[in-house]
Amino acid sequence: MAEPEPDHFDRSRRDAGLTRGELWLRYFELGGMSSAYQVEAYLYGALKPSDHDHDVIAHALNERFVELGGNHPVPYVDDPVPD
Amino acid sequence: MNSGQEPAGRFSLSVDVARSEAVVSARGSLDEAGLVELVDLLDYVIAGRCSAVILDLVEVDWLAPSAPAVIASAEQQLAAESRTLSIRSPSTSVERRLVAGGLGQLISDEEFELMPMPSAQSAAIVARVPDNADPHLPGRFAEQSGASPTDTDLVDATLRLVVELARTTVTGADGVSVSLRRHGRLATVAASDRTILEMDAEQYAAGEGPCVDASIKGRRFHARSLEDEDRWPTFTPKARALGIQAILSSPLVAHNHSVGALNIYSRQPWAFADADQALAMRFATEASAVLTDAAVDGTDDGRSERFEASLRSREVIAQAQGVIMERDGITEVEAYRVLRVYSQRTGISLRARAEEVARSTRPGHPSLGPRREGGPRG
Repeated sequence: MAEPEPDHFDRSRRDAGLTRGELWLRYFELGGMSSAYQVEAYLYGALKPSDHDHDVIAHALNERFVELGGNHPVPYVDDPVPD
Repeated sequence: MNSGQEPAGRFSLSVDVARSEAVVSARGSLDEAGLVELVDLLDYVIAGRCSAVILDLVEVDWLAPSAPAVIASAEQQLAAESRTLSIRSPSTSVERRLVAGGLGQLISDEEFELMPMPSAQSAAIVARVPDNADPHLPGRFAEQSGASPTDTDLVDATLRLVVELARTTVTGADGVSVSLRRHGRLATVAASDRTILEMDAEQYAAGEGPCVDASIKGRRFHARSLEDEDRWPTFTPKARALGIQAILSSPLVAHNHSVGALNIYSRQPWAFADADQALAMRFATEASAVLTDAAVDGTDDGRSERFEASLRSREVIAQAQGVIMERDGITEVEAYRVLRVYSQRTGISLRARAEEVARSTRPGHPSLGPRREGGPRG
């Protein structure tokens, strides 16, 4: 069980070289239902996303890391799959 | 008093902070000295936690020229934190100054003479009523048939999502629609039900109404109680005949051009409290941002390929979720997780996997069979 730190997403976002808008678009592309405002609030830790939203954002970031030649460094809410 | 000249300055300021919103009220002639105090007050409320700040300029009869810049700065600070600033201002001269300062979108009251707009009569306004007005969320209509949705469907699907979110979250909202100017005409691209479609269509036909005004003039129009409403004499009786008592139309703006409106209708007069108005503005702002992103060159129908691709991606993922839900007898969220875990394990993008799964159900394509590519939790 991975309980990410509040600023985890925003740090990952910066590491992934994504603007907040770009991350939201990727999240939206993956079927995310939260607004750009809500996603920003998740990034800042001002709002806590649902587990599903958390994982969609994590996956949006992870797909970006894959594009950059990395793996899936951002943990999911439950049982992250071991490599 | 000549509103163009600075009167002998006398002003007063007050602030009222509730849990979720703060109302900063000014009276009299807001000169430079008044602005300095206004900045202090705005800083004070911005430092607080309220999500909506209302700047009440109803009793301001003169505004210093630098006021719009001061207010815009406060709005930017708030917007950066996903908070809103709206302005109440019934005085024509005050409103002119605000609109000239680029703040027209923030103005939330309407009890004043409207500014003449050169384009107001030039746009042909007709209704385009879709055959199917159900507010399907994106992802649902793809399950209805094997046909690929058209580009217009894909863009409109996002607006239907906005409609649905607004309808369920704005207290007092009995119906919601989005009007967009396309090919020089206003058309309803998303509506929560047929009555709402009719409401919009009546406004297009009459060439008047809060939706039409908000779409053309680029600022909010709020008919608090249609019983007392006299701005739209042709439209208002028709709305009341259909049981509508209050309407809140917020402008949609793309690339600084007004392109449409988010319309919220209620069967109750005085249905929309300040917090609901702020929420409506937030939805409109967000829809505007999406439309701005989507517009290629500021023309009515311009949409970026990227945005269309995003919508297609959502559709195909929803379609694949549907396939997996049916195949494995699991929930939507679990089906999503199946796709996500597969993507995580293989490095194949979630969208690419969704395309494979969705394609597997088409005639002539070998089925993926009972294999579970990750399985639900546990």
